Amino acid sequence: MEVFLFSMFNGVLYGMLLFMLASGLTLIFSLMGVLNFAHASFFMLGAYFAYQISKYVGFWPALVFAPLLVGVVGAAVERYGLRPVHRFGHVAELLFTFGLAFVMEEVIQMIWGKVPVPYDVPAALNFAAFTWRGLDYSAYRLFMLVVSVGIFVALFLFIAKTRVGLMIQAALSHPQMVQSLGHDVPTIFMWTFGFGCALAGIAGVIGGNVLGTEPAMAITLGPIVFVVIVIGGLGSLWGALIAALFIGIMDNMAISYDIALFPIFAMFGVEREAEGIMRDLVDLTTGGIAPVLPYLLLVLMLIFRPRGLFGTRDV
Amino acid sequence: MKHVMKLLFAGVVAVVFAVSTQTAKAVDTIKIGLIEPLSGRIAAVGKDALDAFTFAADQINKKGGVLGGIQLEIIGLDNAMNAEKTTEQLKKAVDQGLSYVIQGIGSNHAGNIIKFIDKHNKRNPGKEMVFLNHSAVTTAFTNELCSFWHFRFDANVDQKVAALVTQINRDSSIKKVYMLNQNYAYGKSFQSAAQRLLAERAPNVEIVGNELIQPFGKVQDFTPYIAKIKASGADTVLTGNWGPDMIRFVKGAVSSGLDTQFYTIYGGLTSSIGGYGSDAKAVNLKQVTEMHENHDGMPDDVHEYIAGYLAKYSDTWYADRQRWLIYMLAAAIDKAGTAAPIPVAKALEGMTFDGPLGQVTMRADDHQLQMPLVVSSITEKAPKSVKYKGNDFGVAFSTDGVADLAATTLPTTCEMKRP
Repeated sequence: MEVFLFSMFNGVLYGMLLFMLASGLTLIFSLMGVLNFAHASFFMLGAYFAYQISKYVGFWPALVFAPLLVGVVGAAVERYGLRPVHRFGHVAELLFTFGLAFVMEEVIQMIWGKVPVPYDVPAALNFAAFTWRGLDYSAYRLFMLVVSVGIFVALFLFIAKTRVGLMIQAALSHPQMVQSLGHDVPTIFMWTFGFGCALAGIAGVIGGNVLGTEPAMAITLGPIVFVVIVIGGLGSLWGALIAALFIGIMDNMAISYDIALFPIFAMFGVEREAEGIMRDLVDLTTGGIAPVLPYLLLVLMLIFRPRGLFGTRDV
Repeated sequence: MKHVMKLLFAGVVAVVFAVSTQTAKAVDTIKIGLIEPLSGRIAAVGKDALDAFTFAADQINKKGGVLGGIQLEIIGLDNAMNAEKTTEQLKKAVDQGLSYVIQGIGSNHAGNIIKFIDKHNKRNPGKEMVFLNHSAVTTAFTNELCSFWHFRFDANVDQKVAALVTQINRDSSIKKVYMLNQNYAYGKSFQSAAQRLLAERAPNVEIVGNELIQPFGKVQDFTPYIAKIKASGADTVLTGNWGPDMIRFVKGAVSSGLDTQFYTIYGGLTSSIGGYGSDAKAVNLKQVTEMHENHDGMPDDVHEYIAGYLAKYSDTWYADRQRWLIYMLAAAIDKAGTAAPIPVAKALEGMTFDGPLGQVTMRADDHQLQMPLVVSSITEKAPKSVKYKGNDFGVAFSTDGVADLAATTLPTTCEMKRP
């Protein structure tokens, strides 16, 4: 039971970080139909901005200004990069963001170098809030949880209660109709893209010091964020939340329980003393394949329910 | 008279020609190819290696080069950490007529180079190439996959693990060890070497956990692993992790207040120390290396070399084996009296060199350099802290213990085929 609670708790912590990334991505997709391949790069940019700003004025100003800066960069990318490409269709946009991810990685390496930068957890929150099963839980981890829950609530209210939110919702189901009603769609696009990037930026600010800030951080986190929004259903905020939490908890459970998979393979006739390629299967446990499980889930989801848990459009 | 004049003229021509070829040879250089990632994600590591080898070659050249005046030149060949490009660069090296190729980052590439050169040398007698490996540590390269054309100047995984286990056995407070490694060839060879050597050399130590993780940054959150380590009651973690898998592991452990020691091979890489940030001061981490700057009793020339490198590149000298490689190659060329690869390779066999911890020997049986190793702890109190590209990390290593040649010399299964 304790292991269960522990995995739940850690899973929620990790899942909420994934959600913060996925929320911006799914928001951009729902309004613009653009799958932003560079989304994790904006997450990385947030971490690097936060590192640079916190070096001079501390973590708290960085928490505010780094996401704002990332948002401005995102808006500029939409205005001067994505918009001219828009008329060539979604494939062109997709390819543009795909290229953008590489460009951003190179630019970041040029500015901050290729080795990890020492971006630290703020000293004010770097103490043990409580101890459970002999492990400290730093106040910073709780802070991460609070920020991410706060963002979810704010985002939800924003979309459900504000005018812009209503437009986003309308665009979700009837994108052409919103355009024909005469709303300034290009500007909404620009700011939505910027806003989505800023959300990724926040995730970068509060995640960069825990996961390590280095040029490969976008590439290693990027795919999992796509898994989250595809499983949750493209364009669904609720779906992104549930999928992110599910993946976070599944990851923790798989490692904590570490169940041997041999009995499953045994059903297919794999023997204990197997040789060659089967040799690796015999010793496989859920812990060993934990990072791959979300992708397995992705494949299953695409086969059985291509629109995801809460999606309204097929992938 | 006419005849005499003709003869005289011919003689003069011959002498001039001989002299001119002689001087041409004197300013000639021996070109050595360095195949490493000089672009792409881990280009920083490749560029550091290029700097290190260029500096080492410069030192040889300043002392008059080899064979009485021939200079060494290091040529960077970019493989972008990519298998096809490694082969491409090898072909380029063949076209340029290079006899010596250095590589070390990535055992998979090293394995390809060994295969390529074996094939090339068989098909092109008289145009042989020699592979000088500075860091690819897969033990098999000097065991079942050994080749006459390959020389390894780094300790292999088994030697490094032997040094770590020797040190673990000296610390009687270590009772329970948890092993966590990356699930690929290197991590698995670390794991099996550690299991075998712990049983042989530290029978009182119990292995309470043995975990393989998905490598190369796929694990984002190490908390569940750290919880398992805590629950196992381990007092020491033994890990071969490097890169983000090491940085996240350490950061996770420090933020969770996990109070075990970490015995590592690559925990002290400069890039990792940068990544730990302030956690570098909190973690109880040990590394095994061929030397480190704060080790007592190293010869003066090593300290001079370290100071020279710091002055030129503002980096702390890390991999002294790269200096040994160039110095031993130069000595082998001088000993052979030629830069031709086969005599030089034969001269390298059994060659000794005065390393920072004592003599090192290129074992002829398997072309594996035999060397003492030092286990050291990361600390703020070290006299000289680690510097990298103008950053001072404020921490460095201080020696816990040395594993002498007796501790690090392991048998080989190599059956060397000589030309």
